[in-house]
Amino acid sequence: MKPKENLLISLIIAAVIVTSINTGFDPVKFVQGAPNIAVLISEMVQLDSRLLSVAFWSMLETLQMAFLGTVIGAAISIPLSLLAARNLNSKFVYAPVRAMLAGIRTFPSILWALFFIIVVGLGPFAGILAIIMYTIGFMSKLQYESIEAIDPDPVEVVGAIGASKTQLVRYVVLPESAPHLLSQLLYMFEYNVRQTSILGIVGAGGIGFYIIEYIKFFQYGKAMVFMLVVLATVLIIDWISMKIRDRYIVQRQSGK
Amino acid sequence: MLQEVTPKEIFSYDIINMDNVWASYDGKGYVLKDVSLSIKGGINYIIIGPSGSGKTTLLKMMNGLVKPNKGRVRVFSVDVGSNGHFKALMPKIGYIPQNLGLVKNMSVMDNVLMGALHRVSNLRALMKKFPDEEMKSAEEAIKLVGLDDKPDRKVYMLSGGEKRRVAIARAFVQKPSLLLADEIVSELDFVKSREIMDMIHSVKQRMGITMVMVHHDIEIALEYADMIAIMKDGVKVAEFRPSELDKASVTKLFNGHEA
Repeated sequence: MKPKENLLISLIIAAVIVTSINTGFDPVKFVQGAPNIAVLISEMVQLDSRLLSVAFWSMLETLQMAFLGTVIGAAISIPLSLLAARNLNSKFVYAPVRAMLAGIRTFPSILWALFFIIVVGLGPFAGILAIIMYTIGFMSKLQYESIEAIDPDPVEVVGAIGASKTQLVRYVVLPESAPHLLSQLLYMFEYNVRQTSILGIVGAGGIGFYIIEYIKFFQYGKAMVFMLVVLATVLIIDWISMKIRDRYIVQRQSGK
Repeated sequence: MLQEVTPKEIFSYDIINMDNVWASYDGKGYVLKDVSLSIKGGINYIIIGPSGSGKTTLLKMMNGLVKPNKGRVRVFSVDVGSNGHFKALMPKIGYIPQNLGLVKNMSVMDNVLMGALHRVSNLRALMKKFPDEEMKSAEEAIKLVGLDDKPDRKVYMLSGGEKRRVAIARAFVQKPSLLLADEIVSELDFVKSREIMDMIHSVKQRMGITMVMVHHDIEIALEYADMIAIMKDGVKVAEFRPSELDKASVTKLFNGHEA
């Protein structure tokens, strides 16, 4: 081993120790508290099946919020990502748009939810607005990256024919990046369902409201019913989007 | 099928003039070194040379996709450096790059119609409502290249030869006066490449287009060219009519040493 590598490894170890002390990261405490996990689990398995219908309807609300947030957010992010793509615009266009998108991305959806609760009050509407903002920030980035990665040749050729920028977008850019956009849309929806499930914690609607309320009052068995419904829903959505991906996306990308 | 006829110099003026052109992508090594050439209207000018000899760069100079670092390129007497004027000319120049530049997720018909985009308003293009005469000319072009049984097939489902036919049909629909084609028959077998070349050649004759092609196949060049240029390491080492040299001496020039 070279002295340089030794130094680097010692530095990393030292940093781990210092940061552990600063943040109270203490493995001993975890071992001491471990029996609590058994208690927690024993309470969690006492499921209250009467709550299933409430869980189902609140999950449905969550799904609708995630759906609206994803669709509206994606509809806004497509034109924004076209403006943010470096292969379609001059620096004076893409730089400010990118900066704005980076700004939007800085906040997690829960902070957006708190912001919109102040604006429009408690409830699902604030949650939907939060999901829209998060989707714009996140999906625009995915989209402009896939727009920048499209085959430059058709852009060059159709541009050289004398097509306008609008025509170029309609005939080359969107069709070429369409499989990626579809796949990102599915991913974003899955992700938004998970996010929306916790937005209720701050009062922005959906199933998270029940989860946090029952946990606050130590009724873990009841909270667990809601968490299992979230788990089942996410698994089902994963499975459906995998089927859609296989059917429409994989096949297209393999054909050169 | 060596052509004995002299180039059909229908037009006596030059379509393309290059004067002492130097080109570099990184500002250090030159891809083109002091290349000068002029191409007369109506002929088929074929550039051959080993890979990395600057053929493609030379071709891309002719529609302004690559700008010279030194020297001057004029197409239809317009300097490619004069942005505004040259932009107006670009619909007159068809271009088929080596990997064709087709939109894979769209149909044969849509790809061919793209050749007409410069004549169609933004609104019509957005709604995919092309005027009847454009639809008709696209249908004709598709028939001409022999793909009239699959106009709705997506391009990613086509074979290599069929994709080339789509690119050719798109170039025809554009109705150019000058057509640039980069290695249009590479990787095709003897019969298929002749089919494609014959097709292009007959349309070129009918429409009176000037053609500039890049090939790496000496035989194709000798069969179809009116004028041949050989590139080597960014330098134009020879320019001749096919009747002036036989295959052996062309091969010698191509390889740059005694075979």
